[in-house]
Amino acid sequence: MDFDIFIHILVAAIAAGTPFVYAALGELVTEKSGVLNLGVEGMMLVGAISGFIAMTKTGSLLVAVLCGMSAGALMACIFAVLTLTLMANQVASGLALTIFGVGLSAFLGLKYTSIALPGVKELHIPVLSDIPVIGQLLFSHDILIYSSFVLFAAVSWFLYKTKAGLILRGIGEAPKSAHALGYNVIKIRYLAVLFGGAMAGLGGAYLSVAYTPMWVEGMVAGRGWVSLALVVFATWRPARVMAGAYLFGGITIAQFHVQGFGIEIPSQLLSMLPYIATIVVLVLISRDQNTIRLNSPASLGITYHPDNQ
Amino acid sequence: MKSFISLIIPLCAVLLALMIGAIMLLSLGANPISGYVTMFGAAFGSLEGFSETAVKSIPLLLVGVGICIAFRANVINIGGEGQMVMGALLATAVALAFPGLPSLMLIPMVLIAGAVGGAFWGSIAGALKAYFNVSEILSTIMLNIVAVQFMNFLLRGFMIDPAEVARGTGIPQTMRLSENADLPILLEGMRMHLGVVVALLVAVGAYFLLWRTAMGYRLRAVGYNPDASRYAGISVPKNVTSALAFSGAMAGIAGAILVFGSESHRMVTDGGSTGFTGSAGFNGIVVALLAGLHPIWSIPSALLFGGMLVGANALQRAAQVPSALIIALNGLIVVFVVSSEYFKQRFLESGRVDIVDEEDTPAGGSHE
Amino acid sequence: MAITKKHVLSVFILLACVAGFSLSASAGDKLKVGFVYISPIGDAGWTYQHDLGRLALEKNLGDKIETKFIEGVPEGPEAERVIRDLAKSGHDLIFTTSFGYMNPTLKVAKMFPKKHFEHSTGYKTAKNVGTYMCRFYEGRYLTGIVAGKMTKSNILGYVAAFPIPEVIRGINAFTLGARSVNPDIKVKVIWVNSWFDPGKEREASEALITQGADVITHHTDSTAAVLTAEEKGVYAIAYHSDMSKYGPKAHLTAATHVYGDFYTKTTQAVLDKTWKPEAVWSGIKEGSIELAPFNPAVPADVVALVEKTKKGIADGSFHPFHGPIKDQSGKVVVEAGKSLTDKDLLGMNYYVEGVLGNIPK
Repeated sequence: MDFDIFIHILVAAIAAGTPFVYAALGELVTEKSGVLNLGVEGMMLVGAISGFIAMTKTGSLLVAVLCGMSAGALMACIFAVLTLTLMANQVASGLALTIFGVGLSAFLGLKYTSIALPGVKELHIPVLSDIPVIGQLLFSHDILIYSSFVLFAAVSWFLYKTKAGLILRGIGEAPKSAHALGYNVIKIRYLAVLFGGAMAGLGGAYLSVAYTPMWVEGMVAGRGWVSLALVVFATWRPARVMAGAYLFGGITIAQFHVQGFGIEIPSQLLSMLPYIATIVVLVLISRDQNTIRLNSPASLGITYHPDNQ
Repeated sequence: MKSFISLIIPLCAVLLALMIGAIMLLSLGANPISGYVTMFGAAFGSLEGFSETAVKSIPLLLVGVGICIAFRANVINIGGEGQMVMGALLATAVALAFPGLPSLMLIPMVLIAGAVGGAFWGSIAGALKAYFNVSEILSTIMLNIVAVQFMNFLLRGFMIDPAEVARGTGIPQTMRLSENADLPILLEGMRMHLGVVVALLVAVGAYFLLWRTAMGYRLRAVGYNPDASRYAGISVPKNVTSALAFSGAMAGIAGAILVFGSESHRMVTDGGSTGFTGSAGFNGIVVALLAGLHPIWSIPSALLFGGMLVGANALQRAAQVPSALIIALNGLIVVFVVSSEYFKQRFLESGRVDIVDEEDTPAGGSHE
Repeated sequence: MAITKKHVLSVFILLACVAGFSLSASAGDKLKVGFVYISPIGDAGWTYQHDLGRLALEKNLGDKIETKFIEGVPEGPEAERVIRDLAKSGHDLIFTTSFGYMNPTLKVAKMFPKKHFEHSTGYKTAKNVGTYMCRFYEGRYLTGIVAGKMTKSNILGYVAAFPIPEVIRGINAFTLGARSVNPDIKVKVIWVNSWFDPGKEREASEALITQGADVITHHTDSTAAVLTAEEKGVYAIAYHSDMSKYGPKAHLTAATHVYGDFYTKTTQAVLDKTWKPEAVWSGIKEGSIELAPFNPAVPADVVALVEKTKKGIADGSFHPFHGPIKDQSGKVVVEAGKSLTDKDLLGMNYYVEGVLGNIPK
């Protein structure tokens, strides 16, 4: 395989992995605060259709992105009210959110299946994009991909270099202690859940306005579920989320290239591979209790009752 | 009083969701009252409609009952889709291998094969959770996709109808399976078949398993408080695995019933899972949640959702209302039902709804 | 002359007859025609084309008929219920428009022997079930000519759904068309194993473009291939529907299928009570296959060549699968002077020379 094509695969993998980056980084922050939101798929779908509607109405990418994010956040808000205020079970609420999102997005999108969008132009950063290899890999994308790089940097910095990040992680580890120290656990979890929703919405909007600029019922096609897996796959580390996202994005693309070169592998077996690989990785990382304990928020998925102190 | 409130509050939640659905219907220019009348009339208004609803509810009920068992053991099984597919595949393989057996033997055999296939797929996730600490939420999601690809692989390869190969059309489907395995029709001229009885029996059986056997006690205990159970000498890994195996078995039976009770009596793939399962693997979770994770309450719950799916088509036909509305409505119902839990507890004035009726164990989990 | 009881009676009978006749004429006599669709109608693709046909039917016979459609009906047990519902609610003619509806259609047809059923793309007919399908490959051959003339890299890309004869036939026809004007052409095929998955279709299109294809086409349902071609600055040839608005620069033309005439003719036959179950396989000759308007970038001589070939296909003087045709190994599969029979076409399971790669098992 010549080098050029290899670079092309990597570039395409970055584009394909970007929805995962957004949704998984958002979910990572949510989970770091100790809340497990299984509704990513639903939030992405609603984000996708809202972004798409905004784009067709206004033609402005910024408005589309903001609408996608707000829609995702609104969905997350439902989840937050259910789990944080009404103290409903997080797993059940997350599933409910997904089922609701699938239907709601299909309903909202009824009149929008017939619209074509121009897509988002690639933005080659001058000078930098001329650097061989790296220029192509990092500086020849559309703006939403650049902003996903920024998001990665911001999330890493926030979680590990700021006091707010420390508090957030502390709440995920030991909400009772954080409460005792005077932090408002519920409020901070609300914010984390809303952030996760906004990012999932943005990931969905990226799909519908940039990656495949159209609205199709169910177009997120399981990416929300994969994003959930990615967070664990990455053992709750932002850098590994990025690597995992591009890996997942790249595998299908590599598979198509292999086909294009006429190499024969039963496609069904090939399609299974990323998922079997994830299970294997899950086994490897989960077997060692210490890795999990070091990275997984201790209170993940457990309902927090502020009154029962 | 307690049971009255636990019944009436989810019901209110459903009604509230239907009211919002009515607004959505209005926004589409349809009359909500006649819409709902059409919908529920088609589903429950005639014997034939009810027969359709019952058939539609079978996989929902079976998956839902399986979910009841899993969730009671605090195991989150999102793998219903994959388990249905694997159950159906194994059942189909059995029917292909022993086409000549009389119905009295073949039907139980294919149902058991369905259960075994689903249980096998479920217990993979169970064992991964129990022995390698792999989150079953993630492994079941992954296994769903693997099962679908496996189905595509088999139906395009080993199990494909030889006639499809000979004709060159290559449609990924098995041959018409042995007629001896057809699930007998219960009512002349309608589609209601033996699967309805099987599903009801499984629901009742699951109730007895959970509340009348030592095994059920252990499953619930593990779900309620794993640490306390461990001290009490209950093997947590073993029970987690068996919870997923039970759950998978029921989804597997649902898969087998879909094959042998359907009109084509063969397994076909359109490349994805929903074409085969109709998303019952996911919707079954909703059924179980609405039923408060109770196998018997799952019966009316499954009928409600099954009826809505049947009614949705009638509604679409009568008012040309898109089917997306019904999916959204289903989701709304779930959201409202989940949130109603809180009000139910407020009314019952207890800290939480107890899943298990044993006395509270000392604050578990803090020993580390 | 006295008015006898008998007179009165006969007048009454006469009146009753007239009234009865006019009543039945007003209430029962709009023929109800039902359509079952596999996906939502959307605005391009398989179901959209069928719905265009339905609308044309309404336009042509609107005063005599009433149509109804159910969209997004999954193949399998669900389909039977929907079809039966339609039959039960008085639809005398029902079109089921997806391959997987074959067995449900046959089964319901058996229960309602007085109703008429038409199943698209199936191969089984019955006393009251006809089938209909288009000769998609004729359109493919024509678009192949366009692609062969427009490519500079001599590599064409083909995003394909599933390796079944219908799709393989299209790939071969496209390749033959392209090589008829440019024997150096190679066609690369990528299978996405899905009829409808915009994400995968985009990724496959990208892979093809990266590997040098400068004209791509697709045998999948979404508009992703055209969108991707537009974005990457290569040409695309659409399938099912005119997708030019998704890629004004990229979209050269599209191989589309048109059902209006067939639906009108069939419905008229039911109205006239002359309907017979047939296995209809219609193409350019019957107006079932059409090309979308050409992109201005396509030179006039190419358009002329395509039009000429199209005429040849229509009058039967030209067959896209006329010999000599070699398979990938160079073995002659159709000898010079012969054309493939419909039976051979329906069971096609090999690539012709010029297609790269192997058909996945």
